[in-house]
Amino acid sequence: MTEAQITEKVIALVTPYVKNREALANVTKDTTFLGDLGINSARLVDIVLAFEDEFGIEVSDDAADSIATVGDAVTLIGKLTA
Amino acid sequence: MLTLRQRVALHVQRSLSYVGLVVFGPVVIAIHRYWFRFSTHDLRAVRARYRELRAANPGPLLICSNHLTLIDSIIQAVLLTSLWGYLRHPSALPWNLPEATNYYHNWLWRLVCYLGRCIPVQRGASREHAALAQARMHYVLGRGDAIAIFPEGKRSRDGRVDDRDFSYGVGQLLNQTPDAKVLCVYLRGMHSGGFGDFPAAGECFHVQLQMLEPQSSNQGLRRARDLSAQVVACLKRMEEAYFATHAAPPAAPSPTS
Repeated sequence: MTEAQITEKVIALVTPYVKNREALANVTKDTTFLGDLGINSARLVDIVLAFEDEFGIEVSDDAADSIATVGDAVTLIGKLTA
Repeated sequence: MLTLRQRVALHVQRSLSYVGLVVFGPVVIAIHRYWFRFSTHDLRAVRARYRELRAANPGPLLICSNHLTLIDSIIQAVLLTSLWGYLRHPSALPWNLPEATNYYHNWLWRLVCYLGRCIPVQRGASREHAALAQARMHYVLGRGDAIAIFPEGKRSRDGRVDDRDFSYGVGQLLNQTPDAKVLCVYLRGMHSGGFGDFPAAGECFHVQLQMLEPQSSNQGLRRARDLSAQVVACLKRMEEAYFATHAAPPAAPSPTS
């Protein structure tokens, strides 16, 4: 799976939880889930679990803690699906 | 893992909060009783039940409550045990987890939180800050203390338990300290409506207590989510039981933010 495909899926999975729609429209690798997209930490857990289901991966607690930006998520998923 | 200095700091805070109880406990109780004129339905039975449950479940305890006002923790502490009870059993006074932004903005609230046995937490905290707060919680639970936590993670916006958008903090604590027991506390003023900072003066509180053993065959985050959901579901059931026998007051307007 290419990075672009992962990014597209990540954005699709995140979209239902986003409060700041403007930030979503201008999303980049550096966009943060909590600060920019307005997602709260509990919903970020839901998103990580959705990544696990969608990509068939297992994200450790430490790895989940390291996900702050869209880029972090894409990089992690890329590694775990490689 | 806490450093020796951090562990000692928690011991000092615990000891000073005990000393503070002697000085400030009567003041808090006087404010509760004479300034706000709060009362509790069947207080003696509530305290007896809490004593009985605590005796049957010694060791680490998570006291999980619904969250309606800014001073729920204080009200709950006053209701569950008498001052004499706290002085006799120092571990009966639970640790609290206030949001730092709301309570650590001036020295008075900082002092109240320190003596009130609080471990500050911060929404959207850095990994290091969150890990330190979790390590502190794990440490005090490991010593057999109780922690009072609001499983919803925020004050209710409409006066009801939110069983759809809640935090997973209680599940994460249970993942860290699997032998911790869970006591669900449903606390509600008879006149409580919607969103508010303080209960109305003269409020009479109704309290329900129920032990819960949340379980999950999952691990990690999924387990935290499962356990949190079970705790919130228990509070929701307690709320339904309350409203089955009490008429709902007219709801106050919810905040727009």
